[in-house]
Amino acid sequence: MKLKSILLSGAFAVSASYAAAHCHNEVPIKTISNAFPAYEVLTAAMAECGNVESELDKDHRLKIVDAFSANPSLYHIASITNSTSVPMIDADLLRPLDDLIAAHGPNIGDNMKIKVDGKTMAIAAFANTQHLMYREDILSDLGIAVPTTWDEYIAAAEKIQAAGVVDYPIGHYMKDGWNLAFVFINHYMGEGGEFFNDDWTPSINNAQGVAVLERMAKMATLMDPEYLVSDTTFVTKQLQQGKVAMANLWASRAGAVNDPAESSVAGKIKFGAGLKGSATAGSTIWWDGWSVAKNISDEEAVAAMKMINASLSSDVISANNDAAIWLAAGFTPGEAAQGAFDTAAGGAPNYPMNKYIGSMHSALGSGLAAFMTGDKDAATTLADIEAAYVSDAKEKGLLQ
Amino acid sequence: MSNPSQRQPLGLKILSNGFLVFWCVVAAFPILWIAVMSFKTPLDAFASNPFVVIAGPNTREMAGGLSILDIVLGLVLIGVLVRQGARWLPRKVEEYAPTPNLAMPWLIGGGAYALVSFILLVLVLPAVLGVLNPLAGPLGNQVIGLTTEHYEAVWIDRGFTRNFVNSMVVTLGVVTVSLTVGTLAGYGLARSDSLFAFWLLVVALVFRALPHSVLVSGYLPYFITSSEWLAPIFGENAPTLYGKPWAVIAVLVAINQPFTIWMLRSFFQNIPSELDEAARVDGCSHFEAFRRVIVPVMWPGVITTGLFSFLLAYNDFLVTSLLLDAQNMTMVPAIANMFNRETTASDEVQAIAAAVSITAPLFLLVLVFQRQIVSGLTAGAVKG
Amino acid sequence: MKRKTFFIFVGPSVCMMLVFIALPLLSVLWQSFHVTQPIYEQVEVETCTAGLLGSTCVTEMKTRPILDEDGKILTKTTFVGLQSYRNVIEPQKFNAALANGSWTDLMNIRFWAALRFTLFFTLLTLPLVLGTGLMIALAVNNTLQRIKGPVIFISLLPFIVTPVIGALSIRWLFIGDGILTAGLEWWLDRDIAMFAQAWTIELMMYMYRVWHVAPFAFVVFYAGLQTVSQDAVEAAIIDGASRWQRLRYIVIPHLMPLVIFLTLIHLMDAYRAFEEIVGFSASAHVISLQWLTYEFLLQDGTGARAISRASASAILTMIGIAILLGFPLRRVWRDQRGS
Repeated sequence: MKLKSILLSGAFAVSASYAAAHCHNEVPIKTISNAFPAYEVLTAAMAECGNVESELDKDHRLKIVDAFSANPSLYHIASITNSTSVPMIDADLLRPLDDLIAAHGPNIGDNMKIKVDGKTMAIAAFANTQHLMYREDILSDLGIAVPTTWDEYIAAAEKIQAAGVVDYPIGHYMKDGWNLAFVFINHYMGEGGEFFNDDWTPSINNAQGVAVLERMAKMATLMDPEYLVSDTTFVTKQLQQGKVAMANLWASRAGAVNDPAESSVAGKIKFGAGLKGSATAGSTIWWDGWSVAKNISDEEAVAAMKMINASLSSDVISANNDAAIWLAAGFTPGEAAQGAFDTAAGGAPNYPMNKYIGSMHSALGSGLAAFMTGDKDAATTLADIEAAYVSDAKEKGLLQ
Repeated sequence: MSNPSQRQPLGLKILSNGFLVFWCVVAAFPILWIAVMSFKTPLDAFASNPFVVIAGPNTREMAGGLSILDIVLGLVLIGVLVRQGARWLPRKVEEYAPTPNLAMPWLIGGGAYALVSFILLVLVLPAVLGVLNPLAGPLGNQVIGLTTEHYEAVWIDRGFTRNFVNSMVVTLGVVTVSLTVGTLAGYGLARSDSLFAFWLLVVALVFRALPHSVLVSGYLPYFITSSEWLAPIFGENAPTLYGKPWAVIAVLVAINQPFTIWMLRSFFQNIPSELDEAARVDGCSHFEAFRRVIVPVMWPGVITTGLFSFLLAYNDFLVTSLLLDAQNMTMVPAIANMFNRETTASDEVQAIAAAVSITAPLFLLVLVFQRQIVSGLTAGAVKG
Repeated sequence: MKRKTFFIFVGPSVCMMLVFIALPLLSVLWQSFHVTQPIYEQVEVETCTAGLLGSTCVTEMKTRPILDEDGKILTKTTFVGLQSYRNVIEPQKFNAALANGSWTDLMNIRFWAALRFTLFFTLLTLPLVLGTGLMIALAVNNTLQRIKGPVIFISLLPFIVTPVIGALSIRWLFIGDGILTAGLEWWLDRDIAMFAQAWTIELMMYMYRVWHVAPFAFVVFYAGLQTVSQDAVEAAIIDGASRWQRLRYIVIPHLMPLVIFLTLIHLMDAYRAFEEIVGFSASAHVISLQWLTYEFLLQDGTGARAISRASASAILTMIGIAILLGFPLRRVWRDQRGS
């Protein structure tokens, strides 16, 4: 065991020193990012350049806005996504990167640039979405075709349950709060629903909203009754332990479900495109990547850019091919990434980049559980959520 | 129990001791169980059959395990160490330290003892067993799967030692400052019968009731921008409070002050005021009286109160997670981070291993200070 | 003691409390009556985002805050009176629920549901904690001298263990097919999901709190038992008092100040219950007042917080604690006057 880990770490050092050849850093740089494995890879590559302190923190979003507002900024580089980029761009805390990319960013492709009014504000490193993961053996034994829509999915789940293969055929990340709201948002978009009227007042209390809630309740009957505490890790474990047959799960988990070290059903799980609603894809695409603070010196900004460039070199990406669905060159989509690409090809939209959806997401997060537990009916739940959204948006100055 | 009329009827004895056994099982089981889980591979650790979790077949296959001989010798050694820790250590410390109740000799003694135990258990015992096992025949066959890979991952790969050092800095800082400030205030309050003193205590109590999440999110923006708003006072050198251990120490001391001064006040009230009044008659000022008369007799109460400060600082999550950066992160938020990141099952078992690791120093602390807690409380540290 | 000396003694402590507790408290109070909002404008923005199949650009009207010349967001602060409090306690819905006499309607208002749970949690666990603590203390006091040390050690474990970790360790025993749930299922021969309905989660939270805090009550009571006057006990034995009578008339009155002390501490800590909600992921079914505050404080996906409502809810929590503390404090006050 020991010997194995020594050998492994040796191999790690070799692959890492590859990256070191490309960059050498003298200026002290601090980074803050989410704690995904993908960021472990990127920050490890940055560390090879030297003089960098990296903070991997899943609560980073609570800090980045305040930290970047300080002058000088407390960090030079921060990771942001579709949604966390909004306050950063609004408060004008990010440094436009076009000149730096032209001079020091040969590894940054055009497909990775997040542009606002023509200026590159962030560099997307990888993408994420949600797609179908299913037990190939169970579906083929029962002669069920791979589902492509939520309705087919539910029908398939009912057959699996009737056949008694597993107690609860589906797993879903319906944990109260952010996750539960996110499930609603995805389904609602899949039904072609609009969250807002033209004046940003809410418009979810409609037939589509009720239909989505009813479908969520229907799915809940096919899930482990503890679904309101089940987050992505919980669902991953359910798949790994063979307790569920299907899940529409984050693409970043595709690697783990077939990892023989953790999964008792490794190799039996296959991937399909994200499930569709009656109108369009019921998944959203997220990007995740680097941004550079505005309140730092030019010298530091150059060093930060060089480091971002080094972290996204094709050597690093290809050495860690399965850690994420990379957007940088050097990535070869494997079997695990296919589901994500199929989802994108199926027309999945990006998760919206605006403030109103942030407020709506919170209101949904604290209001939906009452419907799932049966305390409220669908229409009352949606009306209460609309009221909560209005009161929240008014307090935040978004609605008059 | 010498008085025959106080001898207990058998029924009561059985009932009382039965209840005690039940309670001990309830108290220890969850902690023991996560300790067992931390030594298994994810597949075994999260199995639903308890016997699978204990035996760990998958772990045995992947990483080896323990033989009956290992278990027996290991348990004997742990038993001896715990026994010696509870009996021999206090005697030795009292023998060698000039003033037996000072905290320092205890910390040094305890730390040295922990180090020796660690070396014996982790380095010496496995080496000895490596020789003995092949000779022991069937007793040397592995029966229980066990792996220390999660501990290695946490302490070596993830650099948990840095978090450990940070925790120690914050905890010791809080204990020292909070006791210094609190002892003075507690003594002042105990020797004053003004109405003001009473209301001060009541207000402190209301302060203690304030929800921490509100306090902390109130600090966050000020801590981050402190170099700007402190600039008029400190000029160029105005510090950024965010991420600084001493800023967190100050916050934790303040949060803990109400409890500390309540405890110490009741303790000092139980020290007869004739003692320091006599010293005052001899011409001492209040401070001299405090130093000469009170300080020598205050240690039982101070140690007990200090233990509570230690627990608060060591176990704090909300304050440390929001106000410290990665370089100064203490252990509890670091573990919470491990749990909450995009976890795989191995990450979770690593987090469990880390959780068990941070419980170990607390074990040691209580083991060493157990008598002081009871005697400090008995001497009046709590009197309402 | 002279006033000046007194102030020198308590000064450092009072200063720290003023800076780190009283000032934030005042600012919370101020914020609960005010709302601070950025000033927004509508602008047309072209945004290009990355995707798996290449980037996509859209041009749309966006709401954006106006920045001043220093690059800070322009904000305006308005006095709103009790509006934030109204937003938290939702009086119309409350009145409607009262008019209907409907408990379910009332429990569908988040603040009242949180208040209900917080009060139940605080008041139900109080006697359990005191009772369990006293029982352990009496049992330990009665047991053999030789095993007292180890028993005290084991009894203290739940109290010293880091709360987050203690809650998680209990959660693992029950969640999904955790071993205790699996054991219960095997014993009762039916499917059990401990995290699927409100009452089981609530029960687990009560159990956890008692498990975690009873050791503190135990060690305090145990210390108190060491100082029970042996003369009084012996006199009572000579008078023929039974074991129960001795407990009732000598031991418990002796421990009464400790009961008050523990009650104060417990009321404060339990009323702020928060770790249980996180540790047991209970927020779908039950929430506490501090959780409600935390939820307002939590930034939404785009970084905005509901500070006014959070402050209002925090102040309401404080008022609640102050009322609850009033009862035991009256007694302390009387003792103070008496002595």
